[in-house]
Amino acid sequence: MKILGKSTVSAIAMVMTLTVGVGVADAKDKVKVAFIGPMTGGVSAVGVGGRNSAELAVQLRNADPEAKYEYELVSMDSECKPNVGVQVATKIAADSKIIGLVGHYCSAVAMGAVDIYHRFNLPMSVWGAVLPDVTYANDYKEIHRVNGTMINQNEVAAKFMTEQGYKTWVVIHDTTDYGKGHDKYFTEYLTQNGGEILADFGVSSDQQDFTAELTKAKQLNPDVIYFGGLTPLGVRIRAQMEKLGITSQFQGVSGIKSDSFIEGVGPELSEGVVSFLEGAPVDKLPGGQYFTEKYQAAGFAESEEAYGPFAFAAMTLILDGIEEVGPNRKKLTEYLGNIQGYDSIVGEVSFDDHGQNTVAAITKYVIQDGKWVVWEDSEYVDGTRKLAGK
Amino acid sequence: MTQSLKDKLVILSLAVLATAFMITFLAIEEQAEIFALLVLAAVLVFASAKFGLIETISGCLSRNERLLNGAVVAATLIVAFWFYEDHFPLLMIATVLLYTVASCGLNMQFGYTGVVNFAGAAFFGIGCYTAAVLGETSVPMLMVIIVGGLVAALVGSILIIPVLRTRGHYAAVVTIAFGLLFRTFLEVNDALGGPQGLGVSGMNIFGWDFNSGITLTDDIEVSFYMNYVILALIMVMLTFVLMRRIERSWIGLNFDAVRLDETAAACYGIDIKHWKILSFTLGNFLAGTAGALYAMMLGFIAPSNFAFSDSLILVSIVLLGGMGSLWGTILAAGLVVLLPEKLQAIQEYRFLIYAVVMILILLFRPQGVLPRGLRAYIPGWRG
Repeated sequence: MKILGKSTVSAIAMVMTLTVGVGVADAKDKVKVAFIGPMTGGVSAVGVGGRNSAELAVQLRNADPEAKYEYELVSMDSECKPNVGVQVATKIAADSKIIGLVGHYCSAVAMGAVDIYHRFNLPMSVWGAVLPDVTYANDYKEIHRVNGTMINQNEVAAKFMTEQGYKTWVVIHDTTDYGKGHDKYFTEYLTQNGGEILADFGVSSDQQDFTAELTKAKQLNPDVIYFGGLTPLGVRIRAQMEKLGITSQFQGVSGIKSDSFIEGVGPELSEGVVSFLEGAPVDKLPGGQYFTEKYQAAGFAESEEAYGPFAFAAMTLILDGIEEVGPNRKKLTEYLGNIQGYDSIVGEVSFDDHGQNTVAAITKYVIQDGKWVVWEDSEYVDGTRKLAGK
Repeated sequence: MTQSLKDKLVILSLAVLATAFMITFLAIEEQAEIFALLVLAAVLVFASAKFGLIETISGCLSRNERLLNGAVVAATLIVAFWFYEDHFPLLMIATVLLYTVASCGLNMQFGYTGVVNFAGAAFFGIGCYTAAVLGETSVPMLMVIIVGGLVAALVGSILIIPVLRTRGHYAAVVTIAFGLLFRTFLEVNDALGGPQGLGVSGMNIFGWDFNSGITLTDDIEVSFYMNYVILALIMVMLTFVLMRRIERSWIGLNFDAVRLDETAAACYGIDIKHWKILSFTLGNFLAGTAGALYAMMLGFIAPSNFAFSDSLILVSIVLLGGMGSLWGTILAAGLVVLLPEKLQAIQEYRFLIYAVVMILILLFRPQGVLPRGLRAYIPGWRG
């Protein structure tokens, strides 16, 4: 029964390629694509938003009369757990009717699943996970990522801060993967941009008192204090800087870009703090308006959340690929490997050797009057207000 | 027709029916079909209960245990080989088998001796992490499974004193706390991969790499998960034999005595501590061995696999199957693992439906799906 099923499928596939080749296809052939995200559990809001966005991409393509195929979306729930993630990844990868996948918001799940995609030659693009290792710890041709990583974030951060005229830094980071990663990549890109790091402190993620580190930092008198870590630690460090009378600019990472940071530090102290975040508010994206309109028109009950546009862009990219090279996993992998300067709603997409989008959208934020404001929209940009030490 | 021949025919036809049911259940994908099949199964069970068929069948089964055991193993193998090149069903079968082993461990603690353990996933996880760490060394992988169990048993010994000194809700709280501690420990421990988890190398016995498929002829390539299914099946068989032997021996009698009435048991000279420690340690050992092979099969583990909710899944397998019931555990492991997976298409709502099914079963059958019968000292014996 099974053998018959498979051979029928391959026969259909052959006929399909033939008919498309000759150009006499009447009814559209069905092609399956898949989506994986956390649709239950703590981060389900992001997962459902991503699923809706991917579904929107498929709906729009199916409504397009020029599309060569009719697409069907298979979406699966990873629960943000690696074991469940491996199960659904196997299910999708082993289904030969599925040609491409948009998957993973949770880095740990993505790390467990990439081996499977490679084993089954399933081309895929990550839509939300930010751990660099997902693309950089392997040489798998199948794995791509449209969103940025902490590498991109720090590249933008280092460039931006040196452009503001800052020269010297003191780095404080927590010792989790997150903090260490930020430290590593920021140091790398800062040195390239000619900045100098005077000192580098690793602190535990529940440390309360930073007098020792900050006293040392005060002696060194850097232009900027860079902090790689999450909000609670960031709040303490910013507050204790004030106590010790350190007037350096405070620069954070995506981990402090939350309203609770401002609440914790207070609007006065937080004024002028800068941070960087992968992605952008929907209305700042190149195709944001188009996406929002279509998303609302489709009538989804849930919001698209921060990474929805990336899921949409990744799915659109995969559908474009199938339109171009036909429903064939290997050809699609090849197609994705050659993507350079592809125009998407999240900006240009160019994949490097590891399938990582190198021109990922990173947004710069500054706190102004107790609110996170996109740098370009702030009063800092035209000199009405100035960052510390400027 | 003699009684014994009739019995054999009944068992064989049941086995064929069950095999066909499993194959269909694993193969179908359409939600309507899945529901239809589940309803059909429920109706069949209710109908046969109504007409007294169940009693006839269970009498028949208890008279022919050897044949029953053989038939179940054969049925599992037939189901597995039916899907010989389909990775996903094989992965699910292996998962069910390994969950069965882990739940048997819990059954030893809960069902036999009455020692509460709400940290099942933690002991399962200790096995997983042992496999991940030892996978990098030259320790033979088959040995790693045993070592995984031993490490789980060893770590479990930290809990022995609190478990002995507490009872009921308090014992539950102690084990829950241990489960939470375990997860936090993994998350802050960089050497073990931290919150991002770490990779595990696959099983390898004497150069036979479990992670590559078996090519029989040019056309037939068996999925690499088949290796794991077979090994897991062997583990289930060994566990099953161990559990049955213990249950029917004087050890099992002591376990039962401790569970039913500690004071009375102590009065008759049974060393309560001794038996509690034994069953707790053995149970953790089983969970650890299952975890070790599970990690090798998945290839990647992270702390979020071993949350409190996963411990509850193991507990619910034991409760659903019926405390102390081995066949019940196997059936419940299948239900608990496969049902949420089969309901994937309804996504956000699947846990709702899954939970409702569980509540209904426990409401209308609080003793579990296949409750443990009266102690049978001799196969087929009914006193």
